[in-house]
Amino acid sequence: MSVAAVHSGGIADHIHPEPQGFIRRYVFSLDHKIIGIQYLVTGFVFFMLSGLLAETIRTQLLNPNGGFVSPETYNEVYSIHGSAMVWLVVIPLLTGGFGNLVFPVQIGARDVAFPWLNMLSFWIFPVSGLMLFSSFLMGAPTAGWMEYPPVSLQGQAGTSMWAAAIFLVGVSSTMTGLNFLVTILKMRAPGMTFTRMPLFVWGQFATAPLLMIATTALAAALAALFINREFGVPFYDPTKGGSPVMWQHMFWFYSHPAVYIMILPAFGIISEVLPTFARKSIFGYKMIAFSSAAIALLGFMVWAHHMFTSGLAPFLQLPFMILTYIIGVPTGIKIFSWTATLWGGKIHYSTAMLFAIGFVALFTLGGITGIFLAAIPFDLHVHGTYFIVGHIHYVLVGGSMMGIFAGMYYWFPKMSGRLLNETLGKWHFWLFFIGFNGTFIPMHWLGMLGMPREVATYDPQFTFWNRFETFASYLMTFAILIFFVNIIWSIRYGKKAGANPWGARTLEWQVPSPPHYYNFKHVPTVYGLPYDFSQPLPYKGLEEELTDSPPAVAAGAH
Amino acid sequence: MAEQRAQPIAVDRGFWTVTLVLAVLAVASIVFWILFPISKYLPEAIITARQVDTMFRFMAASGSALYVFIVGYLIYFSIAFRAKATDPPDAIGVQIHDNPKLEFWWTLLPAIFVLLLSVISVRIWYEILLEPENGLVIQAIGHQFYFSFRYPNVNGEITDEMHLPLGEPVTLNLTSADVIHGFWVPAMRLKNDTVPGLVTTIRFTPQLAGRYEIICTQFCGVLHSQMHKQVLVIEDRASFDKWYQGWQQRNAHVSNALPAAPGQAISLQGGDAAAGKTLFAQKCTACHKLAPFDQRLVGPGLQGVLHDPAHPNLVNGKPATPENVAGILQNGFTGSLGTMPNASANGLSSQDIANLVAFLNTLKL
Ligand code: HEM
Ligand SMILES: [Cu+2]
Repeated sequence: MSVAAVHSGGIADHIHPEPQGFIRRYVFSLDHKIIGIQYLVTGFVFFMLSGLLAETIRTQLLNPNGGFVSPETYNEVYSIHGSAMVWLVVIPLLTGGFGNLVFPVQIGARDVAFPWLNMLSFWIFPVSGLMLFSSFLMGAPTAGWMEYPPVSLQGQAGTSMWAAAIFLVGVSSTMTGLNFLVTILKMRAPGMTFTRMPLFVWGQFATAPLLMIATTALAAALAALFINREFGVPFYDPTKGGSPVMWQHMFWFYSHPAVYIMILPAFGIISEVLPTFARKSIFGYKMIAFSSAAIALLGFMVWAHHMFTSGLAPFLQLPFMILTYIIGVPTGIKIFSWTATLWGGKIHYSTAMLFAIGFVALFTLGGITGIFLAAIPFDLHVHGTYFIVGHIHYVLVGGSMMGIFAGMYYWFPKMSGRLLNETLGKWHFWLFFIGFNGTFIPMHWLGMLGMPREVATYDPQFTFWNRFETFASYLMTFAILIFFVNIIWSIRYGKKAGANPWGARTLEWQVPSPPHYYNFKHVPTVYGLPYDFSQPLPYKGLEEELTDSPPAVAAGAH
Repeated sequence: MAEQRAQPIAVDRGFWTVTLVLAVLAVASIVFWILFPISKYLPEAIITARQVDTMFRFMAASGSALYVFIVGYLIYFSIAFRAKATDPPDAIGVQIHDNPKLEFWWTLLPAIFVLLLSVISVRIWYEILLEPENGLVIQAIGHQFYFSFRYPNVNGEITDEMHLPLGEPVTLNLTSADVIHGFWVPAMRLKNDTVPGLVTTIRFTPQLAGRYEIICTQFCGVLHSQMHKQVLVIEDRASFDKWYQGWQQRNAHVSNALPAAPGQAISLQGGDAAAGKTLFAQKCTACHKLAPFDQRLVGPGLQGVLHDPAHPNLVNGKPATPENVAGILQNGFTGSLGTMPNASANGLSSQDIANLVAFLNTLKL
């Protein structure tokens, strides 16, 4: 049942009929676009749940001695908040969600290489999500998203459930990575060379190997944690000869590359949105593309920068500090190139564009504090404090989530045929931007002054800024509510989008919204990069896409 | 279209004006970070704290200067190049694909900066690492949920705050009795994890007398957020010595008895309730209150543990008898609430256990 559309040279269009019936079309679908939407819907449901947990955290911190929930509950809440935001929200939205939805069309493929595997990847995801949240029923884990042993060995029964859930969602990511990698390598339309691929495809292309390789290290670490807890094999138990620091190595060997899993696709989104609304070619295409690859590679060599206080020998730590600094160079190239893209443009301020520009501003700040943290002398001060919490939210919310929002405003018309409301969108952007900065800027200062992270209570000298953060976070939550209202309203009442509401030039905009089953009536041939607005579109074979001629598979035909 | 392409894209007066303004702002932010009185907010309690602050100043200054330029240009370009109402709807920007010279420089300059940053970080880090090795050697031990200290010539663990004489180099060996904790003194800009089964070392020289917080920075269990202790840097050598000798005497009895080994028979005869009471305050109150069973801190409240009809059994399920209480003190116990350390971790001799049981037996509900 796979699609044997082989790239370059003759296209052997081996095509199956579009399945009929609700279940086969929308539930157990093999269509990458439907699977993408399934990922997005599920991811945003988990986003709402984890957002509620976030507000529980902030409400507890209104007062220095807490009091909103008990310390046990508080510890459970932030542990599930972090785990869910990473594994059930950001990673699935950016890879399974936008990846599935967009990149196969962008390379002129009819589907991903392994549609059944794709369906399986998706269906594992809500199951593992439910498992993760169900750990609340048996006493959720409390040691944060990192679950360092030995304290996680003491954790309640739900800690094992947590390990199993994350293991499973990791299996799903690994399969998605494999699927995307093969698709990009083997299924590009004729003429779609690597240096003609849109930058979003480059983002996914750099991410896929990370998903495949890094996640296996996490799987091994989680399996060992589970076995240690349930069957007493003392992998991490120092009283029986195990090594708790081994967990940290394995966890970060995954989780540092994972931060790039969470940002490279967002880089890709930004690199599509900026040129489209600046009406201008992206600046430095090759450098942006290759720097993604460089970041992905270097990302495997820096994990111990999370472990500068774990007792490693100094000569082991040194290379990790310097390699982390070096990652700043390709990251800087991207930031400079995006800024330069605006130069000489004709900029249209759609909501997607606001989020993209906001992304550059906020992510850059997170990148800069990242360099601070890589400096061992300074990290010895702020490791394990609210400074870290500030940094990770600048990169993950100011970066990844802003990228996701930009992607939603940009591609919502492609998946639904309707535009999101721009007025609501602008309220969403500005309130979110203000609330976000108000919530997370002061954290850097608190961390430097002496507020540790993962605490249910804190020193009363920090009360003012904590209250300030909490109120700002309510504003941010309100902005997100506007976003959800916008989506629900626009699905029914939004303006009709047409095939290409933004005048964008990549392939997905040259076919109807939503695209037909199997995407193209005829697989196009590609002649160049898409980004030059003064040139005709570099595609041939798209003439019939927007006409009434029959689609590749007529509905109901066999 | 042709007119569109002809739009002036050369770097014009406006650009240089903005650049000048941004340069001024960047310099202002650099000056701000150089002058910012960090030590007003957080004292620099040890010699290397100042170096860490210097490191921070350097990064904050260069980071803000860079950030001013990036955000400044973002805002400037966003305004200067916005599509205007008078533009035809299909107006496009000037199609610039790249500029190898520009890209060369914005790769090379950051690379040089990385080199500079590496040199500075390594130098400062080595100053931290190369603090003198002689001086006072102390061991700090992380426990759920407190720190304790071993000083040379003091028996057992000091569960009080940590005292240090001003100006004398300290070697602090960190380890843990249970899980990983973080040992952080913000005023010293220094931390390291306390890892069970591992000893890690930090060295420093206090340069400012005062009382500073020690804070746990690795999640270590339900009371993690309350795991604090203080370190007192004392200028007056005599009062440090007094404190030190006080602990030598106070703990003198601890060394006389080896900790009770698991399973060793303990005679509860001759338990001294008064001695037990003192010991309880030292060793037990971090986790147990003298309050009814339900009012737990980490472990249950122990008021009336031997006389509570509502709780005829101990947490290990055995009946609440003096022998079984002694068993928990001797062997420790891990249950749903966490781990109660055993006698050797707690430094309890068999006589100590007898004293504690005698004391607990006096507590009525
Ligand atoms: C140039 C860019 C970056 C640098 C140099 C950098 C550096 C660092 C360093 C050194 C730490 C460890 C600090 C410590 O634990 O003491 C850290 C923590 C972290 N970073 Fe970054 N980072 C960068 C970008 C990112 C990005 C893009 C993301 C995700 C999208 C990210 C996510 C995180 C997270 C989640 C943590 C905290 C993990 C935890 O302790 O819970 N970082 N970063
Ligand atoms: Cu990292």
